[in-house]
Amino acid sequence: MIKHRLPLLFFAVAALATPYSVQRIFLHTGIEKKMGTVQKIFYFHVPLAWIMMALGITCGVAAAIQLRKAATGRSRMAESLSIAAGELVLVTGLGVLITGPIWGHATWGRAWTWDARQVSTGLLWLVFAAFVLLRRYGAAGSERLAAALAVFGAVDVPVIYYAVKIWKTTHPTTDVVGSLPAQMWNSLWPALGALVCLTVGVLLVRIRQEQDAAELDDAWIALDDRGRALTLGGAP
Amino acid sequence: MLDAAVLAAPPCDTTAPVVPLARQAWLLAKNDLRQELRDLELVLTAAFFTLVVLVMFALAFAALPAADQTLAVPGMLWLAVAFVGALTLTRIFDREREADTLRAVLTWPVDRVAIYFSKLGVTLLVITGCGALLMPALGLLFPAAEVFWQRPLDAAALLVLGCLAYAAVGALFAAGLATASGKNVLLSVILYPLTSPALIFALVSTRALLEGHAQFHTYLGQLAALDAVLVAVASWLFEPVLLGSNARPAERRPSARAKRTP
Repeated sequence: MIKHRLPLLFFAVAALATPYSVQRIFLHTGIEKKMGTVQKIFYFHVPLAWIMMALGITCGVAAAIQLRKAATGRSRMAESLSIAAGELVLVTGLGVLITGPIWGHATWGRAWTWDARQVSTGLLWLVFAAFVLLRRYGAAGSERLAAALAVFGAVDVPVIYYAVKIWKTTHPTTDVVGSLPAQMWNSLWPALGALVCLTVGVLLVRIRQEQDAAELDDAWIALDDRGRALTLGGAP
Repeated sequence: MLDAAVLAAPPCDTTAPVVPLARQAWLLAKNDLRQELRDLELVLTAAFFTLVVLVMFALAFAALPAADQTLAVPGMLWLAVAFVGALTLTRIFDREREADTLRAVLTWPVDRVAIYFSKLGVTLLVITGCGALLMPALGLLFPAAEVFWQRPLDAAALLVLGCLAYAAVGALFAAGLATASGKNVLLSVILYPLTSPALIFALVSTRALLEGHAQFHTYLGQLAALDAVLVAVASWLFEPVLLGSNARPAERRPSARAKRTP
């Protein structure tokens, strides 16, 4: 019972945290001197980017377990988790790729500068788009390829994180978040919490859907096999 | 798809004498190279394609100013390598697929990772060979690329490391497609997004070489580290990708009901 109610709990927390976070960001946090009001997008862009990277790693680890473990319940659970997390990387990645250029346009004067972090984030999104396409439209056996793709996608995550340190880039370094004034930190946490709760809720629902679909498949195939055996006159 | 007997077969005959992994990989690669030497199909196709791409680049970009050449030459080099690599990888498992000999290879008393390293070696040899044609030719055609002639060791190290990253990922997915019922066209869909980080590292390093950048060797080191990660991950994933150890057999995928409905 708790398993079924858990997503609802996360959605309820997200429903409470989102309005609180929005009013805090827009009414109780000062406007940044250099960038102005557009800097408010930071409170959505940064949490979305963190969630995207966490989901990318989750998807890769789950896909690795799916590939390495033999036919066990753990492997099936890992497969469902990798599918759900992979799809959510696409959604959160889209959020990052939309909010980032809006912020960039106001700060750098150009929405897309082919900056190292922009390119690596775009590539990560493409890898997971290929993962979702393979899972959805690939022929029999392509789930193994999709899982391997997800593992390499997870390897791409540290590349994104260190891109601003390795290459010359216009993107703010990863140290910027650490040096924020306390007021901004206090507004970032509720925004992060609301988005994490929403993401975890959707993730749990999608995992459940995938597991139900797999169980339905098994039941349907067992019934179909039994029907065929009876038609051929063999033992059921 | 491979049958259940092959999937269930142990990777090695435990009574056979132990042969080191490197020797197993070399023996398998030697077999592939011997077959290649008989008809030169892969090498000649890849070399001809490289030549065509080179002529097109020369026609399109010969009039570029020297400053722009520094930006364009790395793109020409690694774009050509990416295309030649995709061409090579679509053919690398074709002999096994066409003659249905992959099943036989899998029942040999060899470590399955040795199959990956043998295919990686052959792919690397073909792509690096094409790159070895491209680099000096670009050096002759574009004055900004003369550094390929002036610093041949640096250029060779860059070429091998860049091609290794590409081949490491490509050989894994070519193997997966050889045993899946999918088509080779999927290889490009998978390969280009996945190899892009490696190609970007190679592009940045090539530009640093052309500009005489002091950090060139640092970039080369980063490329080598990426190679090590990619080869390690790909060799770790090779056996499950080739054979599968999935909870749900292929016919029990979510689309199974739709496919089996009369």
